[in-house]
Amino acid sequence: MDHSKQIQEIASRLFAENKIDYFVGYRQNSFDDTQVPFLITDPAEIPKLVFTERSVFNLSNYLKPDHTKRKRVGLVVKGCDSRALNLMLTESQVKRENVYIIGICCEGVLNEKGEKAQNCVECVMPDPVVYDEILGTASGKREYIVNADIKELAQKALTERADYFENIFENCIRCNACRHSCPLCYCAKCCIDQETSTLYHGANTSSAGMHALMTWSLHLAGRCVDCRNCEKACPSHLPLHLLHKQNEMVIYENFQQHLAGMEKDDRGAFYKYSLSDPDDFIL
Amino acid sequence: MNLIFETDKAGLQKFYEEIIAKFETYAPVEKFEKFDYKRVSKLEECNPDSPIPSTMSVKPLFFPKTAKVMKFQEDSSGTTVSETDEDPLAGKRVILGVKHCDARGLQVLDEVYKWDYIDTDYKKRRENTIILSTRCDKAGTQCFCTSLDYDVENSDAHDVRIVNGLDGKIYIQSVTEKGENFLKENSSQQSVVGSQQSVEEIKKHYKSFESSFRLKMNYKEVNEKLQKLFDSPEFDPVSSNCISCNTCAFICPTCHCFKISDEKIKDTGVRYKSYDSCNNGYFTLMAGGHNPRPAKYRRWRQRAMHKFVYYKERFGVNLCVGCGHCAISCPVNISIFDVVNQVAK
Amino acid sequence: METEVKKAQGTMVSAENPDITAPADWQPVIMGILCNWCSYAGSDLTGTSRIQYPPNIRIIRVPCSSRVDPWFIIKSLQTAADGVLISGCHPGDCHYISGNYYARRRFLVTKKLLNFIGYHENRVQFSWVSAAEGPKFAKVVAKVTEDIKQLGPLHRYKKENF
Repeated sequence: MDHSKQIQEIASRLFAENKIDYFVGYRQNSFDDTQVPFLITDPAEIPKLVFTERSVFNLSNYLKPDHTKRKRVGLVVKGCDSRALNLMLTESQVKRENVYIIGICCEGVLNEKGEKAQNCVECVMPDPVVYDEILGTASGKREYIVNADIKELAQKALTERADYFENIFENCIRCNACRHSCPLCYCAKCCIDQETSTLYHGANTSSAGMHALMTWSLHLAGRCVDCRNCEKACPSHLPLHLLHKQNEMVIYENFQQHLAGMEKDDRGAFYKYSLSDPDDFIL
Repeated sequence: MNLIFETDKAGLQKFYEEIIAKFETYAPVEKFEKFDYKRVSKLEECNPDSPIPSTMSVKPLFFPKTAKVMKFQEDSSGTTVSETDEDPLAGKRVILGVKHCDARGLQVLDEVYKWDYIDTDYKKRRENTIILSTRCDKAGTQCFCTSLDYDVENSDAHDVRIVNGLDGKIYIQSVTEKGENFLKENSSQQSVVGSQQSVEEIKKHYKSFESSFRLKMNYKEVNEKLQKLFDSPEFDPVSSNCISCNTCAFICPTCHCFKISDEKIKDTGVRYKSYDSCNNGYFTLMAGGHNPRPAKYRRWRQRAMHKFVYYKERFGVNLCVGCGHCAISCPVNISIFDVVNQVAK
Repeated sequence: METEVKKAQGTMVSAENPDITAPADWQPVIMGILCNWCSYAGSDLTGTSRIQYPPNIRIIRVPCSSRVDPWFIIKSLQTAADGVLISGCHPGDCHYISGNYYARRRFLVTKKLLNFIGYHENRVQFSWVSAAEGPKFAKVVAKVTEDIKQLGPLHRYKKENF
């Protein structure tokens, strides 16, 4: 999966036609084989652009209002990134005419250990759902697989699970990197940072970690696209995907197999309802 | 002359075990593929030789991620303020496996903590702690500690230094007076006292360590240039792919900004002091809505200049210690080394 | 065996975690978040009809069950409450036409996630109670109180003691 050449061509064409102010792609790190996001305003830097299975970061994050300030942006998206972008378009965070999207039919990216990442193994939509130009051959939608870690944890006893999560929340340092790296967390001021609210929990204790992560994951339920930017950003390496995948699984199984960002104008599972939604847990 | 012991792997293990049995000991413990300094009661639990790229800094043991400042209680007669409980971290303790850059970070932090207001909790923690540092054998990809304004080889930031010599022997060397006394009291297992030859071996080890650095810079030049570059337009491109996630500040061994928050249940509450970061968009937001650093490049300028210029001007030491933690943890791999070097180019 | 001994001594043992015990006369605190138009009026009717129900519930009124952010539930469980009861209008009866349908989806996900991270599923309960269902409200509160009494006091994830 090496699309570096094509991306470079498209980027230089876009700059030549004056269609974009910014181009967001990936650049090779000089010291190892990892890649970092790369924002270009100057066409002279185009040769540095690359795209391989090491292009991990979700670039839709750079469309958050405070990054690009409503400029015209060209960017590269994989399947999951395009789902996030689709949601941002639906939620009016990005104007469609302001973005030029190069969609890539993703074959899966590698994790730090050089294996295929877990979310790519379980990926439901490797092809871009929104794009102006598409690279690679589309392989179509895949079947939904329940996350392996969730299955394993669900079989454990309640107290065992609680101990496991207590350990996670205790190790959270509340840097909020998960939030800032998430393309769908674009609120100008996050609700958990509202100091004047009586619900505010500003300390950095284990209970505050639980409070922040749980609130965050529930506010993203039905919208999370499983790009795992949060997990890559977390300095404590917490398995944050557990919370999101659990929500995703419940939503998929109970609400007409809903998956976030798959269709145009679909705002997420919590923005619609069905009369036949499960009711048996309510007294 | 400093006290030096010569020993081997088994001897070092015995030495560690003796310490763990005797003192309240903290050491790197693996959690989610990352090493963090935790209380240990057995040597098997921890790894004093943890690799630097995946080890968190030792800062939280001195400047905890959250600390109680005071308690308060409201009743009909008004509000009463009281002291918090005994500080759990202020007791006598030993920390194993501290990296020398982390230890230097504490020395740098001392400057700000003893200036003007003296933080008694911090002071107590510093005084009651013995730091045992294992010297790295090889530099990490993001390390640049040797390029800064301090002498890594003869650093006295830690009390006892452990060196895995190139000749297969392990050297335990005291660096400070505190460390010397500590070694004298806790060396029942050690017998071979090192000689001039050990000093040579330690020097040789440092030479090989020094030659393994990927990143090198001329600190003096960078510092001098940066002083005049406040208005440099370069800060914008170098910070363009920063996502303002705060990770760098939270895991930095020398960042010391904090925020204050009050938390209340019914009539009783606690005032907390917890980490904060200048990379946060509303870190400088004032009441009334004015924000002097709304743009990302201004926040990065503050971060880079504070690390390499302001702190040096004020306290005579560089705030950055070259551990490279920020670059490793950064989701988009921005290294403060690259930032200052590109700006000062 | 041990459990029975403790019970014989007048101590209740949590069904959630056998390590947690409390005096036999321990009373839980239950946060009740009720919708203004149905359940709150229903609880009012319970009172005016002089129907007895456990006094463990502390009621908060919200405009609609869909006003309940999952955050409220987390915060209640972290501070004083041992359990949470959220109640709204029956499906189809919402004053705002469809609020409780949205709420229903959120509740299911919240409940499952809380259970996933280690809360017993009975800690957080939901009910539909209309303004005319005074007796039902009493029954629901009695059931929830009984359930939470079985589970014992909540210690996990509590906000650090002051």
